[in-house]
Amino acid sequence: MMAPGRRGRILRRTIIIAAVVALTLTMEISGFVATPEELRPEVSYVTLHTMVALVYAACAGVAWSLGPTPVPARMMVAFAVLWIPVTFFRVIEDIGWLWPLVYGAHLWWAAVPTLLPLVYPRGRLSGRIDRWLVGIVIGASLVFFLGAVLLLTGPPNPERCDCAPNPYQIADAPEVFAAINLGYRYIGALVALVIAGRLLVGWVRGSIPARAVAFLMPLALVAWTATLAAYAVTESVSATADNVLDTVSLIAIASIPVSFVAGVGHTRNMRSRVADLMRITREGADRGLWAESLARTLRDASVRVYWWDEERGRYADAAGEPIEQGPAERRERHDLLPVSSPTGMPIALIRHDKVLTDNMRLLDGVSSALRLSVDNGRLRSEIERTLEQVRQSRQRIVEAGVEARRRIERDLHDGAQQHLVSLGMRLRLAANAARDTDEVALATELEGTIQMLNMALRELRELAHGIHPSLLSSGGLALAVPEVAGRCPVPVEVDVQAEGRLPELIESTAYFVLAEALANVAKHSGATRGWVRAYVVDEELELVVRDNGSGGASLDGGTGMLGIADRVDAVGGTLDIESPRGAGTTLTARIPLGGPLAE
Amino acid sequence: MNDARPLRVAIADDAMLLREGIAKVLEGGGIDVVASVGTGDELLEVVRGGGIDAAVLDIRMPPSYRDEGIVALEAMRAEGSTIGVLLLSMYATPEYALRVMGAGSGTGYLLKERVSEPQTLVRAVETVASGGSVVDPEVVEQLVKRTRADDPLSRLTERERSVLELMAQGYSNGGIAQTLFLGLKTVETHVRSILQKLDLEESPEHHRRVLAVLTLLGER
Repeated sequence: MMAPGRRGRILRRTIIIAAVVALTLTMEISGFVATPEELRPEVSYVTLHTMVALVYAACAGVAWSLGPTPVPARMMVAFAVLWIPVTFFRVIEDIGWLWPLVYGAHLWWAAVPTLLPLVYPRGRLSGRIDRWLVGIVIGASLVFFLGAVLLLTGPPNPERCDCAPNPYQIADAPEVFAAINLGYRYIGALVALVIAGRLLVGWVRGSIPARAVAFLMPLALVAWTATLAAYAVTESVSATADNVLDTVSLIAIASIPVSFVAGVGHTRNMRSRVADLMRITREGADRGLWAESLARTLRDASVRVYWWDEERGRYADAAGEPIEQGPAERRERHDLLPVSSPTGMPIALIRHDKVLTDNMRLLDGVSSALRLSVDNGRLRSEIERTLEQVRQSRQRIVEAGVEARRRIERDLHDGAQQHLVSLGMRLRLAANAARDTDEVALATELEGTIQMLNMALRELRELAHGIHPSLLSSGGLALAVPEVAGRCPVPVEVDVQAEGRLPELIESTAYFVLAEALANVAKHSGATRGWVRAYVVDEELELVVRDNGSGGASLDGGTGMLGIADRVDAVGGTLDIESPRGAGTTLTARIPLGGPLAE
Repeated sequence: MNDARPLRVAIADDAMLLREGIAKVLEGGGIDVVASVGTGDELLEVVRGGGIDAAVLDIRMPPSYRDEGIVALEAMRAEGSTIGVLLLSMYATPEYALRVMGAGSGTGYLLKERVSEPQTLVRAVETVASGGSVVDPEVVEQLVKRTRADDPLSRLTERERSVLELMAQGYSNGGIAQTLFLGLKTVETHVRSILQKLDLEESPEHHRRVLAVLTLLGER
């Protein structure tokens, strides 16, 4: 959606600029041709005059692509349209309804170079005074327009005009128009001077971004107004002096938009360095690097970043030095930019050169980057902390589970099983006694009870074994693995190479992984053979369970694989399942012996 | 067996109830219970004191409740004691049985619940005291039940299989003949055939024969 809109915009702007250029050339050339030869201005002057409009048109194109608002570009286009050569009146002198209107507007262009510096660099007006100045210029322009349209008999210059009568004329008062004309020029020059003065003051204060380039603007304004003043003061100057003044004036006018777009372009370049900052942010730079990058981005070596120290409730630099309450002189040259999180928590304080203060977009970018960086870091460490907590709590749960199983088994062994064994023994003694006293029926009854009791004991034994095999506690994997493999109805080849004992949690995890895997082999695989391998290699227990069954096992197959994966995962291990259909299944669990489990 | 004097036996089990019960059963079978203790270490002290023919002890005892009984047995053998040692366990664990047999002759491994079969218990004590071997039938059953690829047991006949199971439990040829109601000659023929089919060497010593059979069953 974006691309076509953008392409359409570019096309529209290109057409506008081409039209403006065509209009300019038409006006200049037709005027030049229509003027009688003896009255024509010099070709060099006409060329320079044309160039001014073309420069504005070109700068409009650049300003459009640079942004930040289309206002400067529109102003520049307006300039090129309004940049009407006086010779053009020769072309339209016969069109009575048109020439007074054109004449009324033929000095409006002056508003553009005058007001353009006001919208530098943000593309909009920023203060009350600025708005007042714009109002004055527009008002004066309207007065001049009305004066020209309502009072003129013919354009005063060139004097010999064969103009058609002015249909809008209401009075023949050339002196009044002359006064308006002069007033318009004075007011224009005055406004231009005021703006130039303000710019210069700002420039000296250091609040104008891209100072080196932007310096041209007030200078050009002053030069231009100076030529206006020179015209006014010396009505009767030599032709050469006139030529020089013309040239200076035209160059000054043309240099204003150039200076404008150069300055904005330079600022934008700074913004692309803010993009670099963003990149550094993404890469998770530390604080020292951050301050360094910031200084580079802002081209201000005096930049300091003070980070908010939550514990002490103060700002301190990356090295922990608290913010210096420097002498007033230093604070004169520097501004402080506080950066805080979206929730209002202070993050940092950036001390920068006052020059940058007016470049809000740049500073916005910088503080956004910083905010992002800190937020990123905070989120990352929060996630890491949470994950670690989850990991630890899961391990604790698993450990507690193993411990609970062991305790239940031991309680059964020391409690119920012992009692039942004793009970059987007493029943036996009673049966024997009954037999001795020839109470055969009682003896038979008691013996039957003993048998039932022994069956119950047998079941209890199996149950206790399933809860936690005592062999695992006493003999470790080396004994327990062959034992659990032997219980599998499918013949299983066993290869255990695990010297000594492993941490209890790992042994029990490995045992139950094996038990569940072998149960799967017996229940689902249809295999006729199985292989179990348990190796301790490189601080890692590698457990492989393979079968020659039908394959097709997966984590989501509901065949107990998920339970196995969970067990392995809980002790920080990994599980690989290789189970092509029809070609058996190989489970490989790798459990680190060190790592988080090493107590 | 030895009619000259009653066997003198020491019992070690952390459960007093069982200790007393075992003592009662053994005394009922004409055996003198001369000591009754709660741990393997205490039993070792008693054995070192001498005058004991056999010891009956639990495998799982304090302090760690793992295999203290077998550890005690191994300690006795290491110290040169040759008294009969019968280990009682709540579980029929072949790996334990093999360890017990591996400690030497005069050893036995029974399930605890056999205390409700006085003759079995008394005979087991007598057997180990005279240097014989005893393995609980359930252990043998588990071993035989174990599934193995290319099972050598498949080469045995039904009868040979029964004989093998009794061999593994520590029965002598005479005992097997009695149990299965067979003539001694027949049993000897079966035993020879079994040893041949399973590639086992004939050993005159009982416990070595038991160990060989158990090992075969366990490693099959």
